[in-house]
Amino acid sequence: MTEQIQYLTPAWRDEAEKRLKSELSPERMNFITSSMSNIYLDCPDGGTRYLFFRFEKGEFADLLLGEGEPPTAEFKVSGKYDTFAKISRAELGSQRALMTGKLKLKGNMVKALKLASIADRLNKVLSTIPAEY
Amino acid sequence: MTTSNDPYYIDFPARIRNIQARMAQENIDVYLGSRLRTLSWTLDAFCPWRSFVVIPAEGLPTAFTFVIDAARVADDSWLDEDHVLGFVPMGGQDQIELIVDFIKDLLPGGKGRVGIESGMSNYLPEGNLTHYEYERYSEALPGCELVNAHTIVDALATIKDEGTVNRFREASRIVDIGHQAVRDALQNGGWKGMTETEIAGLAAYAMRKAGSEWEWSFTGGNEIASGYRTGLVGGACTPASRRELQAGEPLMIDIHAMFKLGLGDHSHNYLIGPVTDRQWWHANNFVDIVKLTLENYRAGTSPADLAEKMIGFADERGFSDYMVPGFEHGIGMMGDEWRIGLNDGPFPYWTNPEHVYQAGELLICAMQYACPEEDIGFRYENPIVLYEDRCEPLSLFPLSIDEIN
Repeated sequence: MTEQIQYLTPAWRDEAEKRLKSELSPERMNFITSSMSNIYLDCPDGGTRYLFFRFEKGEFADLLLGEGEPPTAEFKVSGKYDTFAKISRAELGSQRALMTGKLKLKGNMVKALKLASIADRLNKVLSTIPAEY
Repeated sequence: MTTSNDPYYIDFPARIRNIQARMAQENIDVYLGSRLRTLSWTLDAFCPWRSFVVIPAEGLPTAFTFVIDAARVADDSWLDEDHVLGFVPMGGQDQIELIVDFIKDLLPGGKGRVGIESGMSNYLPEGNLTHYEYERYSEALPGCELVNAHTIVDALATIKDEGTVNRFREASRIVDIGHQAVRDALQNGGWKGMTETEIAGLAAYAMRKAGSEWEWSFTGGNEIASGYRTGLVGGACTPASRRELQAGEPLMIDIHAMFKLGLGDHSHNYLIGPVTDRQWWHANNFVDIVKLTLENYRAGTSPADLAEKMIGFADERGFSDYMVPGFEHGIGMMGDEWRIGLNDGPFPYWTNPEHVYQAGELLICAMQYACPEEDIGFRYENPIVLYEDRCEPLSLFPLSIDEIN
Protein backbone atom coordinates (compact mmCIF):
# COMPACT_ATOMS: atom_id res chain seq x y z
CA MET A 1 0.00 0.00 0.00
CA THR A 2 1.33 3.47 -0.96
CA GLU A 3 2.41 5.61 1.97
CA GLN A 4 0.04 8.52 2.59
CA ILE A 5 1.54 11.96 3.17
CA GLN A 6 -0.26 14.55 5.28
CA TYR A 7 -1.53 17.31 2.97
CA LEU A 8 0.19 20.70 3.23
CA THR A 9 3.06 19.50 5.41
CA PRO A 10 6.78 19.94 4.62
CA ALA A 11 6.86 16.31 3.47
CA TRP A 12 3.94 16.92 1.09
CA ARG A 13 5.67 20.08 -0.22
CA ASP A 14 8.87 18.09 -0.89
CA GLU A 15 6.93 15.43 -2.76
CA ALA A 16 5.05 18.10 -4.72
CA GLU A 17 8.30 19.80 -5.72
CA LYS A 18 9.81 16.48 -6.84
CA ARG A 19 6.78 15.63 -8.98
CA LEU A 20 6.38 19.11 -10.46
CA LYS A 21 10.05 19.21 -11.47
CA SER A 22 9.96 15.78 -13.06
CA GLU A 23 6.57 15.94 -14.73
CA LEU A 24 6.27 19.55 -15.93
CA SER A 25 8.93 20.41 -18.48
CA PRO A 26 9.44 24.04 -19.60
CA GLU A 27 7.69 23.06 -22.86
CA ARG A 28 4.67 21.72 -20.93
CA MET A 29 4.68 24.98 -18.97
CA ASN A 30 4.74 27.02 -22.20
CA PHE A 31 7.99 28.65 -20.99
CA ILE A 32 5.98 30.94 -18.71
CA THR A 33 7.41 33.28 -16.10
CA SER A 34 4.80 33.74 -13.42
CA SER A 35 4.01 33.22 -9.77
CA MET A 36 0.96 32.28 -7.76
CA SER A 37 0.09 32.09 -4.10
CA ASN A 38 -2.62 29.75 -2.89
CA ILE A 39 -4.03 30.93 0.42
CA TYR A 40 -5.59 28.13 2.46
CA LEU A 41 -8.17 29.49 4.90
CA ASP A 42 -9.70 27.47 7.76
CA CYS A 43 -7.01 24.80 7.87
CA PRO A 44 -7.76 21.83 10.21
CA ASP A 45 -5.77 23.55 12.98
CA GLY A 46 -7.80 26.72 12.44
CA GLY A 47 -4.90 28.62 10.87
CA THR A 48 -4.09 29.98 7.42
CA ARG A 49 -1.32 28.68 5.17
CA TYR A 50 0.04 29.58 1.81
CA LEU A 51 1.64 27.65 -1.00
CA PHE A 52 3.69 29.81 -3.33
CA PHE A 53 4.67 28.65 -6.82
CA ARG A 54 7.12 30.42 -9.11
CA PHE A 55 8.17 29.53 -12.65
CA GLU A 56 10.98 31.14 -14.63
CA LYS A 57 10.74 30.63 -18.40
CA GLY A 58 8.85 27.43 -17.74
CA GLU A 59 11.43 26.11 -15.25
CA PHE A 60 10.04 25.29 -11.86
CA ALA A 61 11.84 27.79 -9.55
CA ASP A 62 10.16 27.87 -6.13
CA LEU A 63 7.58 26.06 -4.08
CA LEU A 64 7.23 27.60 -0.64
CA LEU A 65 4.88 26.48 2.11
CA GLY A 66 4.32 28.79 5.05
CA GLU A 67 2.09 30.70 7.39
CA GLY A 68 1.35 34.42 7.49
CA GLU A 69 1.82 36.82 4.59
CA PRO A 70 2.88 35.04 1.37
CA PRO A 71 5.56 36.44 -0.96
CA THR A 72 4.21 38.85 -3.60
CA ALA A 73 2.85 36.90 -6.54
CA GLU A 74 1.30 37.73 -9.89
CA PHE A 75 -1.82 35.80 -8.89
CA LYS A 76 -3.31 35.15 -5.51
CA VAL A 77 -5.95 32.43 -5.15
CA SER A 78 -7.67 32.20 -1.79
CA GLY A 79 -10.21 29.73 -0.49
CA LYS A 80 -10.98 27.27 2.24
CA TYR A 81 -8.63 24.38 2.94
CA ASP A 82 -11.48 21.97 2.13
CA THR A 83 -11.92 23.52 -1.32
CA PHE A 84 -8.24 23.16 -2.17
CA ALA A 85 -8.28 19.63 -0.75
CA LYS A 86 -11.16 18.72 -3.08
CA ILE A 87 -9.24 20.16 -6.03
CA SER A 88 -6.14 18.17 -5.03
CA ARG A 89 -8.23 15.00 -4.79
CA ALA A 90 -9.59 15.80 -8.27
CA GLU A 91 -13.11 15.98 -6.83
CA LEU A 92 -13.56 19.60 -7.91
CA GLY A 93 -12.19 21.49 -10.91
CA SER A 94 -10.38 24.73 -10.14
CA GLN A 95 -12.38 26.59 -12.78
CA ARG A 96 -15.66 25.40 -11.29
CA ALA A 97 -14.42 26.47 -7.86
CA LEU A 98 -13.70 29.95 -9.24
CA MET A 99 -16.98 30.17 -11.14
CA THR A 100 -18.99 29.26 -8.07
CA GLY A 101 -17.09 31.69 -5.88
CA LYS A 102 -15.48 28.98 -3.73
CA LEU A 103 -12.09 30.34 -4.75
CA LYS A 104 -11.22 34.01 -5.13
CA LEU A 105 -8.60 35.12 -7.64
CA LYS A 106 -6.69 38.35 -7.42
CA GLY A 107 -4.69 39.31 -10.50
CA ASN A 108 -5.07 40.20 -14.16
CA MET A 109 -7.86 37.95 -15.50
CA VAL A 110 -6.75 38.34 -19.11
CA LYS A 111 -3.34 36.95 -18.18
CA ALA A 112 -4.99 34.32 -16.00
CA LEU A 113 -6.96 33.08 -19.01
CA LYS A 114 -3.69 32.39 -20.81
CA LEU A 115 -2.50 30.37 -17.81
CA ALA A 116 -5.69 28.46 -17.05
CA SER A 117 -4.63 25.27 -18.81
CA ILE A 118 -1.21 25.41 -17.17
CA ALA A 119 -2.82 25.72 -13.74
CA ASP A 120 -4.88 22.63 -14.59
CA ARG A 121 -1.69 20.72 -15.46
CA LEU A 122 -0.16 21.78 -12.18
CA ASN A 123 -3.21 20.71 -10.19
CA LYS A 124 -3.26 17.40 -12.01
CA VAL A 125 0.28 16.65 -10.88
CA LEU A 126 -0.52 17.62 -7.29
CA SER A 127 -3.58 15.36 -7.32
CA THR A 128 -1.33 12.33 -7.92
CA ILE A 129 0.33 12.71 -4.52
CA PRO A 130 -1.11 10.12 -2.15
CA ALA A 131 -2.23 12.35 0.67
CA GLU A 132 -4.22 12.38 3.85
CA TYR A 133 -6.37 15.42 4.44
CA MET B 1 -1.29 54.49 -30.45
CA THR B 2 -0.49 57.66 -32.40
CA THR B 3 2.63 59.82 -32.05
CA SER B 4 2.76 63.56 -31.49
CA ASN B 5 3.45 64.35 -35.17
CA ASP B 6 0.40 62.34 -36.25
CA PRO B 7 -2.55 64.61 -37.23
CA TYR B 8 -4.82 62.40 -35.12
CA TYR B 9 -2.61 62.50 -32.04
CA ILE B 10 -4.34 63.22 -28.75
CA ASP B 11 -2.33 63.71 -25.58
CA PHE B 12 -4.19 61.21 -23.39
CA PRO B 13 -1.71 61.36 -20.48
CA ALA B 14 -2.34 65.14 -20.38
CA ARG B 15 -6.10 64.52 -20.31
CA ILE B 16 -5.62 62.25 -17.29
CA ARG B 17 -3.42 64.83 -15.55
CA ASN B 18 -6.08 67.48 -16.17
CA ILE B 19 -8.73 65.23 -14.63
CA GLN B 20 -6.45 64.59 -11.65
CA ALA B 21 -5.91 68.33 -11.15
CA ARG B 22 -9.68 68.87 -11.03
CA MET B 23 -10.07 65.88 -8.71
CA ALA B 24 -7.59 67.52 -6.34
CA GLN B 25 -9.59 70.77 -6.44
CA GLU B 26 -12.74 68.87 -5.53
CA ASN B 27 -11.07 66.63 -2.92
CA ILE B 28 -11.78 63.52 -4.94
CA ASP B 29 -9.36 60.67 -4.29
CA VAL B 30 -10.46 58.27 -7.02
CA TYR B 31 -12.62 58.83 -10.11
CA LEU B 32 -14.80 55.91 -11.18
CA GLY B 33 -15.87 56.65 -14.76
CA SER B 34 -18.60 54.53 -16.33
CA ARG B 35 -20.02 56.62 -19.18
CA LEU B 36 -19.16 55.63 -22.72
CA ARG B 37 -18.05 59.21 -23.44
CA THR B 38 -15.63 59.12 -20.50
CA LEU B 39 -14.22 55.77 -21.57
CA SER B 40 -13.60 56.96 -25.14
CA TRP B 41 -12.18 60.27 -23.94
CA THR B 42 -9.74 58.73 -21.49
CA LEU B 43 -8.83 55.38 -23.07
CA ASP B 44 -8.89 55.99 -26.84
CA ALA B 45 -10.71 52.69 -27.28
CA PHE B 46 -14.30 51.79 -28.05
CA CYS B 47 -15.86 49.95 -25.10
CA PRO B 48 -19.11 48.31 -26.24
CA TRP B 49 -19.47 46.21 -23.06
CA ARG B 50 -20.14 47.58 -19.60
CA SER B 51 -16.81 49.14 -18.68
CA PHE B 52 -15.26 51.38 -16.07
CA VAL B 53 -12.16 53.50 -15.75
CA VAL B 54 -10.57 54.07 -12.37
CA ILE B 55 -8.44 57.21 -12.22
CA PRO B 56 -6.24 57.51 -9.15
CA ALA B 57 -5.06 60.82 -7.68
CA GLU B 58 -1.75 60.32 -9.48
CA GLY B 59 -0.47 58.00 -12.17
CA LEU B 60 -2.11 56.01 -14.91
CA PRO B 61 -5.78 55.07 -15.05
CA THR B 62 -6.91 51.46 -15.20
CA ALA B 63 -9.79 50.29 -17.35
CA PHE B 64 -12.10 47.41 -16.50
CA THR B 65 -14.21 45.68 -19.09
CA PHE B 66 -15.76 42.29 -19.82
CA VAL B 67 -12.88 39.85 -20.12
CA ILE B 68 -13.83 38.74 -23.63
CA ASP B 69 -12.96 42.22 -24.89
CA ALA B 70 -10.21 43.32 -22.48
CA ALA B 71 -7.26 42.24 -24.63
CA ARG B 72 -8.72 44.06 -27.64
CA VAL B 73 -9.37 47.23 -25.63
CA ALA B 74 -5.77 47.10 -24.35
CA ASP B 75 -4.56 46.64 -27.93
CA ASP B 76 -6.54 49.68 -29.16
CA SER B 77 -5.87 51.87 -26.14
CA TRP B 78 -2.77 53.86 -25.22
CA LEU B 79 -2.70 51.87 -21.98
CA ASP B 80 -0.79 48.61 -21.62
CA GLU B 81 -2.34 45.26 -20.67
CA ASP B 82 -1.58 45.81 -16.98
CA HIS B 83 -3.92 48.81 -17.07
CA VAL B 84 -6.82 47.15 -18.85
CA LEU B 85 -8.31 44.41 -16.70
CA GLY B 86 -11.07 41.98 -17.57
CA PHE B 87 -13.90 41.01 -15.28
CA VAL B 88 -15.76 37.70 -15.22
CA PRO B 89 -18.29 36.03 -12.96
CA MET B 90 -15.64 34.30 -10.84
CA GLY B 91 -14.56 34.66 -7.23
CA GLY B 92 -12.78 37.99 -6.82
CA GLN B 93 -13.18 38.82 -10.50
CA ASP B 94 -16.71 40.16 -10.92
CA GLN B 95 -16.86 43.84 -11.74
CA ILE B 96 -17.92 45.02 -8.28
CA GLU B 97 -15.41 42.99 -6.25
CA LEU B 98 -12.53 43.51 -8.68
CA ILE B 99 -13.01 47.28 -8.83
CA VAL B 100 -13.69 47.62 -5.10
CA ASP B 101 -10.47 45.72 -4.29
CA PHE B 102 -8.61 47.94 -6.75
CA ILE B 103 -10.03 51.15 -5.25
CA LYS B 104 -9.31 49.99 -1.69
CA ASP B 105 -5.67 49.43 -2.65
CA LEU B 106 -5.53 53.06 -3.83
CA LEU B 107 -7.01 54.54 -0.66
CA PRO B 108 -5.11 54.55 2.61
CA GLY B 109 -7.26 52.70 5.12
CA GLY B 110 -9.89 52.21 2.42
CA LYS B 111 -11.26 55.70 3.11
CA GLY B 112 -11.80 58.61 0.75
CA ARG B 113 -14.05 60.39 -1.73
CA VAL B 114 -14.87 58.49 -4.90
CA GLY B 115 -16.15 60.44 -7.89
CA ILE B 116 -18.85 58.60 -9.82
CA GLU B 117 -20.93 59.39 -12.90
CA SER B 118 -24.65 59.65 -12.23
CA GLY B 119 -27.45 61.39 -14.07
CA MET B 120 -29.77 60.75 -17.00
CA SER B 121 -29.65 61.06 -20.74
CA ASN B 122 -31.77 60.74 -23.85
CA TYR B 123 -28.87 58.75 -25.24
CA LEU B 124 -29.51 55.16 -24.18
CA PRO B 125 -25.89 53.92 -24.01
CA GLU B 126 -24.80 56.90 -21.86
CA GLY B 127 -23.49 54.57 -19.16
CA ASN B 128 -24.30 56.39 -15.92
CA LEU B 129 -23.78 54.28 -12.83
CA THR B 130 -26.95 52.27 -12.29
CA HIS B 131 -28.87 52.29 -9.05
CA TYR B 132 -27.82 48.69 -8.45
CA GLU B 133 -24.15 49.44 -9.07
CA TYR B 134 -24.31 52.50 -6.82
CA GLU B 135 -25.75 50.42 -3.97
CA ARG B 136 -23.16 47.65 -4.39
CA TYR B 137 -20.21 50.07 -4.51
CA SER B 138 -21.57 51.97 -1.51
CA GLU B 139 -21.90 48.76 0.51
CA ALA B 140 -18.48 47.46 -0.48
CA LEU B 141 -16.71 50.77 0.18
CA PRO B 142 -18.05 51.63 3.63
CA GLY B 143 -15.25 54.08 4.33
CA CYS B 144 -15.90 56.05 1.15
CA GLU B 145 -18.19 58.85 0.14
CA LEU B 146 -19.50 58.47 -3.41
CA VAL B 147 -20.01 61.86 -5.06
CA ASN B 148 -21.30 62.73 -8.51
CA ALA B 149 -18.33 64.11 -10.45
CA HIS B 150 -19.08 63.82 -14.18
CA THR B 151 -18.80 67.59 -14.57
CA ILE B 152 -15.01 67.17 -14.35
CA VAL B 153 -14.92 65.25 -17.63
CA ASP B 154 -17.73 67.25 -19.23
CA ALA B 155 -15.92 70.54 -18.64
CA LEU B 156 -12.59 69.26 -19.92
CA ALA B 157 -14.14 67.67 -23.02
CA THR B 158 -16.08 70.74 -24.16
CA ILE B 159 -13.32 72.35 -26.21
CA LYS B 160 -11.93 69.94 -28.78
CA ASP B 161 -8.19 69.62 -29.38
CA GLU B 162 -6.67 69.50 -32.84
CA GLY B 163 -6.31 65.70 -32.94
CA THR B 164 -9.98 65.25 -32.07
CA VAL B 165 -11.11 67.75 -34.72
CA ASN B 166 -8.89 66.04 -37.30
CA ARG B 167 -10.45 62.68 -36.47
CA PHE B 168 -13.90 64.23 -37.04
CA ARG B 169 -12.64 65.79 -40.27
CA GLU B 170 -11.50 62.41 -41.55
CA ALA B 171 -14.76 60.73 -40.47
CA SER B 172 -16.63 63.46 -42.36
CA ARG B 173 -14.49 62.95 -45.47
CA ILE B 174 -15.43 59.27 -45.31
CA VAL B 175 -19.12 60.16 -44.94
CA ASP B 176 -18.82 62.26 -48.11
CA ILE B 177 -17.51 59.17 -49.91
CA GLY B 178 -20.61 57.31 -48.69
CA HIS B 179 -22.86 60.07 -50.00
CA GLN B 180 -21.14 60.01 -53.38
CA ALA B 181 -21.63 56.22 -53.57
CA VAL B 182 -25.34 56.63 -52.80
CA ARG B 183 -25.73 59.39 -55.39
CA ASP B 184 -23.96 57.27 -58.04
CA ALA B 185 -26.20 54.30 -57.27
CA LEU B 186 -29.42 56.32 -57.39
CA GLN B 187 -28.75 58.10 -60.69
CA ASN B 188 -29.93 57.03 -64.13
CA GLY B 189 -32.83 54.99 -62.80
CA GLY B 190 -30.66 53.12 -60.33
CA TRP B 191 -33.10 53.99 -57.53
CA LYS B 192 -35.85 51.81 -59.06
CA GLY B 193 -36.55 48.77 -56.89
CA MET B 194 -34.10 49.93 -54.25
CA THR B 195 -35.04 49.77 -50.56
CA GLU B 196 -33.99 51.98 -47.67
CA THR B 197 -32.01 49.14 -46.07
CA GLU B 198 -30.17 48.56 -49.35
CA ILE B 199 -29.13 52.22 -49.49
CA ALA B 200 -27.96 52.03 -45.87
CA GLY B 201 -25.87 49.02 -46.80
CA LEU B 202 -24.27 50.45 -49.92
CA ALA B 203 -23.33 53.63 -48.05
CA ALA B 204 -21.86 51.49 -45.29
CA TYR B 205 -19.85 49.46 -47.78
CA ALA B 206 -18.40 52.54 -49.44
CA MET B 207 -17.52 54.09 -46.09
CA ARG B 208 -16.00 50.88 -44.72
CA LYS B 209 -13.88 50.63 -47.87
CA ALA B 210 -12.69 54.14 -47.09
CA GLY B 211 -11.74 53.17 -43.54
CA SER B 212 -14.82 53.76 -41.41
CA GLU B 213 -14.93 51.57 -38.33
CA TRP B 214 -18.73 51.44 -38.15
CA GLU B 215 -21.95 53.33 -38.75
CA TRP B 216 -21.81 54.31 -35.09
CA SER B 217 -25.22 55.89 -34.52
CA PHE B 218 -27.42 54.03 -32.03
CA THR B 219 -30.40 55.20 -34.09
CA GLY B 220 -29.95 52.24 -36.42
CA GLY B 221 -26.63 52.99 -38.09
CA ASN B 222 -27.32 54.71 -41.38
CA GLU B 223 -30.74 56.35 -41.23
CA ILE B 224 -32.65 56.31 -44.49
CA ALA B 225 -36.21 57.54 -44.97
CA SER B 226 -38.33 57.73 -48.08
CA GLY B 227 -41.81 59.02 -48.86
CA TYR B 228 -44.06 59.64 -45.86
CA ARG B 229 -41.29 58.54 -43.48
CA THR B 230 -39.34 61.72 -44.27
CA GLY B 231 -42.25 63.80 -42.94
CA LEU B 232 -43.10 62.06 -39.70
CA VAL B 233 -43.93 64.69 -37.06
CA GLY B 234 -40.73 65.86 -35.39
CA GLY B 235 -39.18 62.82 -37.03
CA ALA B 236 -35.46 63.13 -36.50
CA CYS B 237 -34.81 59.42 -36.13
CA THR B 238 -35.32 57.09 -39.04
CA PRO B 239 -33.63 53.68 -38.91
CA ALA B 240 -33.77 52.31 -42.47
CA SER B 241 -36.85 50.20 -43.26
CA ARG B 242 -37.57 47.71 -46.03
CA ARG B 243 -39.63 50.35 -47.83
CA GLU B 244 -39.03 50.51 -51.59
CA LEU B 245 -38.34 53.91 -53.19
CA GLN B 246 -41.17 55.36 -55.27
CA ALA B 247 -41.33 58.00 -58.00
CA GLY B 248 -42.44 61.44 -56.87
CA GLU B 249 -41.23 61.00 -53.27
CA PRO B 250 -38.58 62.62 -51.11
CA LEU B 251 -35.58 60.62 -49.89
CA MET B 252 -33.44 61.40 -46.86
CA ILE B 253 -29.95 59.93 -46.49
CA ASP B 254 -28.40 60.38 -43.03
CA ILE B 255 -25.18 58.38 -42.78
CA HIS B 256 -22.52 57.87 -40.15
CA ALA B 257 -18.86 56.91 -40.14
CA MET B 258 -16.35 56.54 -37.34
CA PHE B 259 -12.62 57.19 -37.52
CA LYS B 260 -10.56 56.67 -34.35
CA LEU B 261 -13.66 57.44 -32.26
CA GLY B 262 -14.22 60.67 -34.23
CA LEU B 263 -17.72 60.72 -35.70
CA GLY B 264 -18.98 61.63 -39.14
CA ASP B 265 -22.69 62.43 -39.40
CA HIS B 266 -24.14 64.07 -42.47
CA SER B 267 -27.57 64.09 -44.11
CA HIS B 268 -28.34 64.78 -47.73
CA ASN B 269 -31.78 64.91 -49.32
CA TYR B 270 -33.24 64.01 -52.70
CA LEU B 271 -36.50 64.34 -54.57
CA ILE B 272 -37.28 61.45 -56.87
CA GLY B 273 -38.88 62.80 -60.03
CA PRO B 274 -41.33 63.89 -61.17
CA VAL B 275 -41.06 66.76 -58.67
CA THR B 276 -43.97 69.15 -58.09
CA ASP B 277 -43.63 72.91 -57.57
CA ARG B 278 -44.91 72.46 -54.05
CA GLN B 279 -42.15 69.94 -53.29
CA TRP B 280 -39.59 72.42 -54.64
CA TRP B 281 -41.08 75.12 -52.41
CA HIS B 282 -40.47 72.91 -49.36
CA ALA B 283 -37.00 71.97 -50.61
CA ASN B 284 -35.92 75.58 -51.19
CA ASN B 285 -37.22 76.60 -47.78
CA PHE B 286 -35.08 73.95 -46.21
CA VAL B 287 -31.87 74.69 -48.13
CA ASP B 288 -32.24 78.41 -47.39
CA ILE B 289 -32.71 77.96 -43.67
CA VAL B 290 -29.74 75.58 -43.45
CA LYS B 291 -27.55 78.11 -45.27
CA LEU B 292 -28.69 80.88 -42.95
CA THR B 293 -28.13 78.75 -39.86
CA LEU B 294 -24.58 77.90 -40.92
CA GLU B 295 -23.90 81.58 -41.53
CA ASN B 296 -25.03 82.37 -37.99
CA TYR B 297 -23.17 79.69 -36.06
CA ARG B 298 -20.15 81.15 -34.23
CA ALA B 299 -18.72 81.65 -30.77
CA GLY B 300 -20.80 83.98 -28.61
CA THR B 301 -24.19 82.85 -29.84
CA SER B 302 -26.42 80.39 -27.97
CA PRO B 303 -28.94 77.69 -28.97
CA ALA B 304 -31.80 80.01 -27.89
CA ASP B 305 -30.45 82.98 -29.93
CA LEU B 306 -30.09 80.82 -32.97
CA ALA B 307 -33.51 79.17 -32.65
CA GLU B 308 -35.15 82.58 -32.31
CA LYS B 309 -33.49 83.90 -35.46
CA MET B 310 -34.16 80.81 -37.52
CA ILE B 311 -37.78 80.38 -36.47
CA GLY B 312 -38.21 84.11 -37.23
CA PHE B 313 -36.91 83.51 -40.74
CA ALA B 314 -39.13 80.44 -41.20
CA ASP B 315 -42.12 82.46 -39.99
CA GLU B 316 -41.45 85.23 -42.50
CA ARG B 317 -41.31 82.68 -45.28
CA GLY B 318 -44.38 80.81 -44.01
CA PHE B 319 -42.87 77.46 -43.18
CA SER B 320 -42.30 77.69 -39.39
CA ASP B 321 -44.99 75.03 -38.87
CA TYR B 322 -42.67 72.54 -40.50
CA MET B 323 -39.46 73.28 -38.61
CA VAL B 324 -38.53 71.24 -35.57
CA PRO B 325 -37.38 74.03 -33.23
CA GLY B 326 -33.92 72.65 -32.41
CA PHE B 327 -30.84 73.21 -34.48
CA GLU B 328 -28.07 71.20 -32.90
CA HIS B 329 -27.02 68.33 -30.69
CA GLY B 330 -23.84 67.69 -28.80
CA ILE B 331 -21.05 65.52 -30.11
CA GLY B 332 -17.69 64.28 -28.96
CA MET B 333 -15.68 61.12 -29.12
CA MET B 334 -17.84 57.97 -29.38
CA GLY B 335 -20.52 57.94 -26.68
CA ASP B 336 -20.77 61.71 -26.35
CA GLU B 337 -23.84 62.39 -28.42
CA TRP B 338 -26.37 64.37 -26.57
CA ARG B 339 -26.18 67.39 -24.32
CA ILE B 340 -24.11 70.42 -25.33
CA GLY B 341 -21.89 71.87 -22.60
CA LEU B 342 -22.48 71.35 -18.91
CA ASN B 343 -25.52 70.20 -16.99
CA ASP B 344 -26.47 73.77 -16.08
CA GLY B 345 -29.74 74.39 -17.89
CA PRO B 346 -33.30 74.82 -16.63
CA PHE B 347 -34.08 71.17 -17.35
CA PRO B 348 -31.55 68.75 -15.85
CA TYR B 349 -29.44 66.86 -18.35
CA TRP B 350 -30.79 68.73 -21.38
CA THR B 351 -28.79 71.34 -23.26
CA ASN B 352 -28.92 74.73 -21.60
CA PRO B 353 -30.59 76.95 -24.25
CA GLU B 354 -28.56 79.87 -22.91
CA HIS B 355 -25.24 78.02 -23.31
CA VAL B 356 -22.84 80.53 -24.87
CA TYR B 357 -20.74 78.82 -27.51
CA GLN B 358 -16.97 79.18 -27.35
CA ALA B 359 -14.40 78.91 -30.09
CA GLY B 360 -13.18 75.32 -30.32
CA GLU B 361 -16.51 73.70 -29.55
CA LEU B 362 -17.72 71.02 -31.93
CA LEU B 363 -21.38 70.18 -32.33
CA ILE B 364 -23.74 68.70 -34.85
CA CYS B 365 -25.79 71.27 -36.68
CA ALA B 366 -29.01 69.24 -36.85
CA MET B 367 -32.15 70.50 -38.54
CA GLN B 368 -35.37 68.73 -39.32
CA TYR B 369 -38.17 69.87 -41.61
CA ALA B 370 -41.34 67.80 -41.53
CA CYS B 371 -44.65 68.28 -43.27
CA PRO B 372 -46.64 65.14 -42.46
CA GLU B 373 -49.79 66.22 -44.28
CA GLU B 374 -47.83 66.30 -47.55
CA ASP B 375 -45.59 63.31 -46.79
CA ILE B 376 -42.45 65.36 -47.17
CA GLY B 377 -39.50 66.21 -44.94
CA PHE B 378 -35.78 66.86 -44.98
CA ARG B 379 -32.88 66.58 -42.54
CA TYR B 380 -29.56 68.31 -42.28
CA GLU B 381 -26.78 67.12 -40.01
CA ASN B 382 -23.15 68.07 -40.12
CA PRO B 383 -20.42 68.33 -37.48
CA ILE B 384 -19.33 71.96 -37.26
CA VAL B 385 -16.34 73.51 -35.49
CA LEU B 386 -17.01 76.93 -33.99
CA TYR B 387 -14.64 79.85 -34.37
CA GLU B 388 -14.94 83.44 -33.16
CA ASP B 389 -16.53 84.65 -36.39
CA ARG B 390 -17.81 81.59 -38.24
CA CYS B 391 -18.27 77.84 -38.22
CA GLU B 392 -16.55 75.18 -40.26
CA PRO B 393 -18.84 72.41 -41.56
CA LEU B 394 -16.71 69.26 -41.66
CA SER B 395 -18.68 67.34 -44.26
CA LEU B 396 -18.10 69.03 -47.61
CA PHE B 397 -20.80 67.28 -49.65
CA PRO B 398 -22.56 70.15 -51.46
CA LEU B 399 -25.62 71.51 -49.70
CA SER B 400 -28.57 71.03 -52.05
CA ILE B 401 -31.65 68.93 -52.57
CA ASP B 402 -31.11 66.97 -55.74
CA GLU B 403 -33.69 65.72 -58.18
CA ILE B 404 -33.24 62.13 -59.31
CA ASN B 405 -34.86 60.94 -62.49
